[in-house]
Amino acid sequence: MAGVGTAGTHPGGAGGGSLLGKVSDQLAKLEDLLNIVAAITIFVLMLGTTISIACRISGFPIPGYLDISEQAIAIFAFFGAAYGQRLGAHIRMELVIGALPGRLRWMIEALATFLGFLLILVLIRYSWDFFLNAYLIGDSTVDIEFPTWPAKLLVPIAFSVWAARLALETVGYLRLSIWPSAVPVAVPLQLSPAEEAEREIREAGIAREEIEAVARTSGGASANSPDRKERGE
Amino acid sequence: MNLTALFNGQPDAIFGIGYMDPTEVGILCMGLLLVLVICGVRVVFAAGIVGLVGLVELIGWNGAASAVGQIPFSKSVSFVLGLLPMFILIGYLAFHAGMTKQLFAAARAWIGWVPGGLAVASVFAAAGFAAVSGASVATAAVFSRVAIPEMLEAGYNKRLAAGVVAAAGTLASLIPPSTILVIYAVIVEESVGALLLAGFLPGIFSAVVYAVIIVGWAMIKPDAGPAVKGIGWGERFRTLPGLLPIASVVVIIVSAVYGGWATPTEAGALGAFVVLVVAWMNGMRWPSLKAALMETSKLVVMIFSLIWGVLIFGRFLGFSGLPEAFATWILSFDTDPYLILGGILMGYVVLGMFMDAIGLLLLTLPVVYPAVMALNGGADVSAADSAFGLSGGQCSVWFGIIVVKMAEVCLITPPIGLNCFVVNGVRPDIPLTDVFKGIFLFFIADAATIVLLILFPQIITWLPDLMYG
Repeated sequence: MAGVGTAGTHPGGAGGGSLLGKVSDQLAKLEDLLNIVAAITIFVLMLGTTISIACRISGFPIPGYLDISEQAIAIFAFFGAAYGQRLGAHIRMELVIGALPGRLRWMIEALATFLGFLLILVLIRYSWDFFLNAYLIGDSTVDIEFPTWPAKLLVPIAFSVWAARLALETVGYLRLSIWPSAVPVAVPLQLSPAEEAEREIREAGIAREEIEAVARTSGGASANSPDRKERGE
Repeated sequence: MNLTALFNGQPDAIFGIGYMDPTEVGILCMGLLLVLVICGVRVVFAAGIVGLVGLVELIGWNGAASAVGQIPFSKSVSFVLGLLPMFILIGYLAFHAGMTKQLFAAARAWIGWVPGGLAVASVFAAAGFAAVSGASVATAAVFSRVAIPEMLEAGYNKRLAAGVVAAAGTLASLIPPSTILVIYAVIVEESVGALLLAGFLPGIFSAVVYAVIIVGWAMIKPDAGPAVKGIGWGERFRTLPGLLPIASVVVIIVSAVYGGWATPTEAGALGAFVVLVVAWMNGMRWPSLKAALMETSKLVVMIFSLIWGVLIFGRFLGFSGLPEAFATWILSFDTDPYLILGGILMGYVVLGMFMDAIGLLLLTLPVVYPAVMALNGGADVSAADSAFGLSGGQCSVWFGIIVVKMAEVCLITPPIGLNCFVVNGVRPDIPLTDVFKGIFLFFIADAATIVLLILFPQIITWLPDLMYG
């Protein structure tokens, strides 16, 4: 998937980088936890649905499974949002912004992230209304009349964590706009197509040593391979 | 300027651009969206913000904000979308199920005897794996390791070997399970089952076109791709069990949708369960399972966010009337509808050079889809009265397959062409320029496939028609 980067939450020196890094690391723990809950939900849903097919085919359908599994979607639809933000998973077009020179680029990044922050604030406020309304009128699912407010409440909760991450990221970019040569902290790293390819290869489980072995045995035509600069870690 | 709106006292003008025709607001916001996306604003934010701003302009703050506040929940929490994490999980688990080597061995044993046999085998093995993993780019990475060494050892042309592997990954998008077809179905409100069935034959067809190109290449230049000789029937049949996991996933999904014994979401869950069992038998344990689940969740939340973000924008577009206006404008060209369709698809080629397939589809479909439907004669048109010889429902499915195929082709075109970078990354001894040169023929093959799918829509509509009539 294009546009997926890795996090750069390492504490850096200049401009309060180490404090920002610490706050970011704390928030990261919460984000990881939420994403683990989302991941477990997906796993449970997979097992549950498999069991429910078996039950239905053998003539004993699980009552209300459909309703509850549908409400459970809210967990993985929203809980990982901040985690994904930290890792740069939400897609975007990187071609233009990646080519901009340092300071200008960081300023645009800051503005772009701040816009996202504003949108999420509006969504927190009005998804809360949506939850409250469901709670007050006792809104429920059609089949087993399972209340919908718990699932609806997950939206403002998950989005609040997301907003916190976006606020940190905005600060991180502003810091870089002021000190463009500082070590990036609390912002997702941006990858070039070559680096992106490198990451995909790692994720497919191919070790770097193996590639270097290929390069060695074939006389090392690595002059043509994309540069793999170190990522300032 | 719309003076009637001024005197009717529309509740807007908050952004100082009030008293405009809603369609003008639509065009303006479309432009704003483009600017934001080019500036690197994440697509979910760009679409959400522009949708919100546009809605505020058209219906005022209270109506807009409360409508927008409901969209993330009400558009995400639907049983159909429960399918997405299942398909994605199948993909991540597939890498741990250790199926690639057996697949390649089976394909090599069964079809290696044709000219360019190893390359043809790579196409079918990679297509099978890509289908199940759903990951075009990662498939290119894995097969660079599995298939390229063997092809080079057999004296295959480097460009051919690299091109095959980079191209075959793109077949991921059509053969079930396909995440991107589910997303298309959700955005245009078409049946998920119909699209999953519709992708099956075109996916196979694309692979066959690739194979024909390779055989042609190897017949003209026999040195570029020698055939594999001396494989007996016994060896062939011994490779068959290796195909079971992948075959079972595809069969479960197609038969469930076609036979109606389970919903697509249920079939997805069952498919994921089968792949999990295979992966576990092949040595996957908790750490890898946890990693696969965390990655799945990350990708799932990205896709869900994108969907509700774009639907916020879509809600605004609905109010603005821009899609209807665009459709009317498209219809005003008094020329061959195929020519107009060709123009639209060329636009995708250009945009696809700069954008990810999912983002590209989501951003363009709310405007382009109604126009294509109108071009065919509307949603309720019969096949006989339509421009493309397809009923409304058929046209919707047909366009989905074509546009998804189109977006996927962009994974192999410069300047981004991620699959090509991946092949070069795994095999630094094959320069990037050679990978791009190797891919050229497959690009031509894809263009031919798309033309054929347009001219012979039955390839797409036959299977869903059997099911849905």
